[in-house]
Amino acid sequence: MTTPQNSAGAAAPAPVLAVDLVTDPAALPALGALARALEAAGIGALTLSDGGLHPVHVAAHLAPATTALGLLPRTDAVHVEPFHLATQLMSLDHVAAGRAGWLLAVEDTPEAAHAVGREVLGAEAAAQEAADVLTASRLVWDSWAEDAEVRDAERGLYIDAARLQYADFEGETFSVRGPAITPRSPQGVLPVLLADADRAAAGEKVAEQLADGRALDVDLTGLDLTSPDLTDPQAAGDQLRAVVAGELEAAVRGDGASAVRLVRLVGLDLSGDPQALAARLGALAASLREDDLVAPAPAAGTDLRAQLGLPAAVRDEDPARRADRARLAAAASTTEESR
Amino acid sequence: MTAVPTLPALSEEAQGLATGPVEHPLHPEHTPTGQLSFGAFFQGVNSSTVWRSERSGSQIAWESFETLIRTAERGRFAAFFLGEGLRLREHRGVPLELDVAGRPDAQTLLAGLAAITESIGLVATQNTTYNDPVDLARRLQTLDLLSGGRAGWNIVTTDNAWTGENFRRGGYLDHEDRYVHAEAFVKVAQQLWRGEQIDHHGQHYDVAARGTLPRSAQGEPVLFQAGASPAGQAFAGRTADVIFSPHGTLAAAADFRRSVVDATIAAGRDPQAVKILPGAEIILGATDAEAEEKRIWVRDHQIGPQQAIALLEQYWGRDLSDFDPDGPLPDVEPEIEQSDVTRGAGFQFAKAKELTAAWRAEAAEKGLSILEFAREKSGARRGEFVGSYDRVADRLGQFAALGAIDGLNITPWLIPSGLDDIVDHLVPRLQERGIYPTEYAGTTLRENLGLPPVQG
Ligand SMILES: Cc1cc2nc3c(=O)[nH]c(=O)nc-3n(C[C@H](O)[C@H](O)[C@H](O)COP(=O)(O)O)c2cc1C
Repeated sequence: MTTPQNSAGAAAPAPVLAVDLVTDPAALPALGALARALEAAGIGALTLSDGGLHPVHVAAHLAPATTALGLLPRTDAVHVEPFHLATQLMSLDHVAAGRAGWLLAVEDTPEAAHAVGREVLGAEAAAQEAADVLTASRLVWDSWAEDAEVRDAERGLYIDAARLQYADFEGETFSVRGPAITPRSPQGVLPVLLADADRAAAGEKVAEQLADGRALDVDLTGLDLTSPDLTDPQAAGDQLRAVVAGELEAAVRGDGASAVRLVRLVGLDLSGDPQALAARLGALAASLREDDLVAPAPAAGTDLRAQLGLPAAVRDEDPARRADRARLAAAASTTEESR
Repeated sequence: MTAVPTLPALSEEAQGLATGPVEHPLHPEHTPTGQLSFGAFFQGVNSSTVWRSERSGSQIAWESFETLIRTAERGRFAAFFLGEGLRLREHRGVPLELDVAGRPDAQTLLAGLAAITESIGLVATQNTTYNDPVDLARRLQTLDLLSGGRAGWNIVTTDNAWTGENFRRGGYLDHEDRYVHAEAFVKVAQQLWRGEQIDHHGQHYDVAARGTLPRSAQGEPVLFQAGASPAGQAFAGRTADVIFSPHGTLAAAADFRRSVVDATIAAGRDPQAVKILPGAEIILGATDAEAEEKRIWVRDHQIGPQQAIALLEQYWGRDLSDFDPDGPLPDVEPEIEQSDVTRGAGFQFAKAKELTAAWRAEAAEKGLSILEFAREKSGARRGEFVGSYDRVADRLGQFAALGAIDGLNITPWLIPSGLDDIVDHLVPRLQERGIYPTEYAGTTLRENLGLPPVQG
């Protein structure tokens, strides 16, 4: 069986500038306006961290309000049902027209485990589980060819099963048959990044082999974007730049799974006026771009892989997993008998 | 043009019911509201959706869902409704190629649609057997909060080892236990929605968690139930706000109402507590003749020669691809031991031999080919909701007056334009008759279905 890999080897351009939003229900009323304002200010992506509301659904909710922002929910890869998670993420990519990504988290806490009737796995087993869930997800995402829907009225075929394949994933703790119940999403295979906050828990396999890249976390906790010293967006941009550029320059940019593809501003208090917040963060983005420290603002309709500098996903076809294998086998045995 | 057959007369029983005085409700404890609500059911599988026409749009593009839901909201539909199948349907061990297939995760899509709509309810069919209750409860509550109190959960219990191959637990559940399991599951979800700490150690799971999200504008998601077995009805009587039923003829709907009211009373609830929305296909025209012509077009586009053969293969349990779709039904015997109803289709059949013999006789007597026979059996049929705008509006008026149903969950046979004539021509006539809302009653699904505030 072949296993879909990351896009290692691709040279990483300057990382995409992302702002982390916490999915706190109290923040909900202003969330759409904030996302639109940040997009207009040239921010490249939003990451959605779990503050109660499910990050995948919050990302989907923000998709119709935006046209260029990448949307990356940060969500657990351990105490989850892999087939559901894969389906939800690829559905997010459909809703967001190719702007979805996954910030993979490893949450092996007693709370996460007991919520699904399991026990804490321990570091090594949790890292293995996350690697398996990621691999299974990619097999599900990659199970339909882009042209699987043929609509051939003559032959009566809406889809052609020869262009579908099973996932046939067999891990230590679970298996997934497939194919996906959802057609191939616009990006085919979503980009999967690992935030610095999750690096240790994710373990070597995900961090160094399977991920498509790293999200460099810049912690701005305690910084008050609405303070009077920052009323001038330009001054605010310069002050923020001092922190962010320093961290960007100090970071080892790496390659393959370790390539820094996203810089994620975490810990920001985003509860103020969306326009004012966006003006300051927009000034930061402009200032960082003067020195090519972050990628240009995405154009509407750019898919997230392209924005991150990842190559378009190429489908990994595996003849042994073809979804019409039962029919091929029956035809072969008929031929055999007739000899 | 061939002569268009006239519509069938109502059965005597149906006529009696339809014209019977409203003072005699279907059930002594049940008072008809005389009002109807519509849901739009995006099915995403089965032959009911026509894909062969130039007007057949994408089944997955955002624009299709956007068009559909905007039309439904313009027509004051109470809900937009998505079905679910957790394994791609298969026929003879290969993904079924002949019908529309492939749909997005219901709640992820609905979370997006919540952002472009204001009043319409958003209902996700979600299975209890292959979800974790804490996760599903949180996702439903998220949708409810994102939409300002417009979420609904259509509870289904589909369980089989074949679907289970996509999930951690596989085929772990005995079919007999499906509702025992579902009831414990729903209880856990409700406790979490109410902010309670749960520490559930039951037959099927041991979970500990605490609900942390606030109540939505409607309190918590509306509970729909689809599953018509006696166990399913009893479960609905205890738990559901709304039943999505398969009973769309007047006589069947009337029987079902009586039975649901009994189940609701047996559960100690208000006899009015459970609403019933049968699934329905509506085919309209300016005249009855035009509607009947359209019905034949729909039926012929739903069922092509390959689907006709595949339909028979399910019951014959063998390859019938050598038979001519325009010829008589196969004269070979079914291979019962291989009988293989298309998986995920939601129905099962055991008595292949008797059925196939009866079908052969029926087709021979009526002089029907394989294709014609299959179209009769599984294509759009004549029925309650085929006819001129006025005929269907009047008919729905009779259903409403009797209290047989509280509305319909309508499957459009064309995506994304299949609701257009319903909204443009039928809805205004129902509004004129005073049996359908001219404006949304409120901002939540609960309000728009006329449900009381949530208990608990
Ligand atoms: C009108 C109707 C629609 C249904 N839609 C679905 C669906 O979309 N997905 C699903 O898994 N089950 C669906 N089912 C329900 C399952 O078939 C049902 O939960 C299961 O078969 C067990 O219920 P029962 O034995 O009471 O029928 C539907 C049932 C009805 C009556």
